[in-house]
Amino acid sequence: MPISSIGGLSSIVPSAPGSASSATKAAGADFGSTLKDAIGALNQLGSRADASSLSLAKGDPIDIHEVMLNAEQASLGFSMAVQVRNKLVDAYAEVMRMSV
Amino acid sequence: MGLFSSMRISGSALTAQRLRMDVIAGNIANADTTRVNGQRQPYQRQQVVFSPLNQGAGSAGDGLQVAAIVKDQQPGRQVYDPANPDSDPNTGLVAYPNVDTTTEMTDMLSANRAYEANVTVLNSIKQMAQRSIDLGRA
Repeated sequence: MPISSIGGLSSIVPSAPGSASSATKAAGADFGSTLKDAIGALNQLGSRADASSLSLAKGDPIDIHEVMLNAEQASLGFSMAVQVRNKLVDAYAEVMRMSV
Repeated sequence: MGLFSSMRISGSALTAQRLRMDVIAGNIANADTTRVNGQRQPYQRQQVVFSPLNQGAGSAGDGLQVAAIVKDQQPGRQVYDPANPDSDPNTGLVAYPNVDTTTEMTDMLSANRAYEANVTVLNSIKQMAQRSIDLGRA
């Protein structure tokens, strides 16, 4: 009996990577831009702390508690970013440990 | 971030109490000033007036600010001293400022304690944040 070729499969295969790449691109744009925004906010905290301590050293009329608050906020933000990074690395290691 | 805005509330209180301390320092420094702006008039004691920031319904607000620095209009003591260059030429009385050093010292203690209380609140907020970050630690 004639075995008909499974031609229908060829129509599925090219589209699957296309949809997967578009899905990852959409998810990647969300996650990547979120990560970039978060790192930008952290950088802003750090630069504000630097600027305020520099102006205190120069003798500008800035309150000491203002400088201390900015430094503390930068430190807390950085600790939180480090914890988030630890979680991400653990999740990645977990995924990589999965046997194929 | 919500935690940082609560730090800003205490920060505004620290700024306001420091300004109050400046006014008290000015009052004590000028406790015997009998000439203001080149004219023979005593220094008027100054006081700060606080008001809350953005105190809306259902929100804790943004802290406090100094609404005004008002002059106390009470007359000060008058001392009979004709030899003083600032004495009244007719009566020989010198008008001294209405600054009572005891009252100013009490205000200074109060501003000091308020500053310390706000610093304690800030330390407590900082500890809460650090405990929350420790949640992520294994």
